[in-house]
Amino acid sequence: MFKEYLKIAIKNLRTRQLRSWLTIFGIVIGVFLIMSLLSLSQGLKATVLNQLKAVGTDIVMIMPGNISDIMTTIVGNIQLSEEDLNVIKKTPGVEAVLPNVYKGEIVKYQNTSKTAILAGMDLRNALNVYIEDMGMKIATGRWPVPGKREVIVGSLVPTDVFPGMKTNTTINIKGKQFEIVGVLKSRGSKQDDSMIGLDLDIFRSITGERQGAPQAIAKIAAGYSVDQVSKDIKANLETQAKRQAGHGGESAYLVLTSDAMSGIVDNIMGIIQVVVFAFGSIAVLVGGIGIMNTMYTSVRERTREIGILKAVGAKNSTIVLIFLIESGIIGLIGGLGGMIPGLGLAKLIQAFGQVHPVFYIEASVTPGIILFGLLFSFGVGCLSGFFPARQAAKLKPVEALRRYE
Amino acid sequence: MVADSVIKLENVWKIYQFDKVELAVLKGVTLDISRGSFVVILGPSGSGKSTLLNMLGCLDLPSKGRVLLDGRDISKMSEDDLAQARGKKIGFVFQQFNLLQNLNALENVMLPMIFQGKSETERKKRAESLLASLGLQDRILHRPAELSGGEQQRIAIARSLSNNPEIIVADEPTGNLDSTTGQKIMEILINLHKDEKKTIVVVTHDPAIADYSSQVVHIRDGEIATNHLNAEKVLWDK
Repeated sequence: MFKEYLKIAIKNLRTRQLRSWLTIFGIVIGVFLIMSLLSLSQGLKATVLNQLKAVGTDIVMIMPGNISDIMTTIVGNIQLSEEDLNVIKKTPGVEAVLPNVYKGEIVKYQNTSKTAILAGMDLRNALNVYIEDMGMKIATGRWPVPGKREVIVGSLVPTDVFPGMKTNTTINIKGKQFEIVGVLKSRGSKQDDSMIGLDLDIFRSITGERQGAPQAIAKIAAGYSVDQVSKDIKANLETQAKRQAGHGGESAYLVLTSDAMSGIVDNIMGIIQVVVFAFGSIAVLVGGIGIMNTMYTSVRERTREIGILKAVGAKNSTIVLIFLIESGIIGLIGGLGGMIPGLGLAKLIQAFGQVHPVFYIEASVTPGIILFGLLFSFGVGCLSGFFPARQAAKLKPVEALRRYE
Repeated sequence: MVADSVIKLENVWKIYQFDKVELAVLKGVTLDISRGSFVVILGPSGSGKSTLLNMLGCLDLPSKGRVLLDGRDISKMSEDDLAQARGKKIGFVFQQFNLLQNLNALENVMLPMIFQGKSETERKKRAESLLASLGLQDRILHRPAELSGGEQQRIAIARSLSNNPEIIVADEPTGNLDSTTGQKIMEILINLHKDEKKTIVVVTHDPAIADYSSQVVHIRDGEIATNHLNAEKVLWDK
């Protein structure tokens, strides 16, 4: 019988085509928003978590500042001092400390100049950490020799940043010639793959940033508990900060294990997704109210028709079902109509990100997201149709028939 | 013929409440519609005849008293059971035809059978033969708006017959038709009574119809004024 009710419902929708399409359009807008934003934030989350996965579990990241106030650290340009780095190095269980330093500089290759991210790498002491724990693998060439003017570049540099760049040629940074000796394999993020790596000492001498680092990475020696050592690092840093408190203020440090980092990313992305979803939902809610409005109007207009249906033997549940099918169809078509351009836009943004190295964002289009979008819009349709449908079913046949137009 | 009743009204009252004013539209009506009878209900407007017909059609519930459909008190049935019973046992013919405008003739006739769970092939076969028997074989795919009043009313009659009901309740079936067409519609109803032994209840203004009937009920001010059982007087075979 469901097939018959479906036919009746579709006929009813087609009788009021303009109104049906306008109502559907309301849902399209909401679902379009949700789908595009959700797939982008989902993709962003997947990208970041993937990058973190490349980082070994015996790695901790150290930042000055407070976890509840990360923006202050980033915006306020608070740095780890050289003493801080020493304290970390001396903490038992720490095998190596890598200051994480980078700076944008104008780089000239042949006739083109571009701003590229330079990264200072402690190749002398911690080359194995970069290879084993930071996921940096050579694709072609070799690692730079410490102390020599040699650079290694990310996988996107010879393709996107300076197309056609070859190893054993030179680039010019701040008037000095460097030889390109190797290209890294992709590490899965646009930023990482676009950087130019050079020896830490040379980095410092050409950028003029001689001291400290915004962050540092410590490798924990085998046989030590990562959690325990990271607690020790934090404690040591804070004791040292207090000892120096002569020149003011408390100092807080953030020591993150890779697990904790994944957790934070997960959290932040989770919040972003909730917010995105909440805003999108408001749009869908408005669409849902549109459906409700349309269905109530429809119930009023079709009062007589409902009376006829009841007179010829339709049960209340049948009336409810017919109306729910109608609103469900509106929701479903709206969902479909919003999803296709929504996911299309997300893919477009992804494609745009691949052309322009400014931002790299992946759109995640999974069967899960598609199914969710369809179920969600169908659900909104049914839910908004429920009250009008119940009102229709409650009509007494004799009263419904009495309304002559 | 043993007069077993299809529908029986026992001291039925219908009272409408407007704020503090009560309006009794039916005042203790007792009426027995026996199987195979042709009952005509006559009465001026406002006399309560439509309300009476709604009671007989089980479209409305009494405020007081009992309405028995095949011996079952309809006030004690659930709404769904009542809808089901109504769809199966009662066929309606209305003054305004009351066809669904967005369904064609065939679909309109098939509709009551959907609610009785009949299969599609069965529905189609029955609807087509009903429409053909009423001379509408060329109109089955037309929508009501494309048809004349007489044609629409014939579709409505076909619809009322779709579940092979025991009783047909017609509320001024000729009220919206010219007299020639109206007469044809009445002839169809009379033939249904004669040939198919259907029980038929008709509300009408038209006193000519009363001549065909086996029972004439006059209603005035919500009460039955006269109830003539004149079956013996009427010669069906002219």
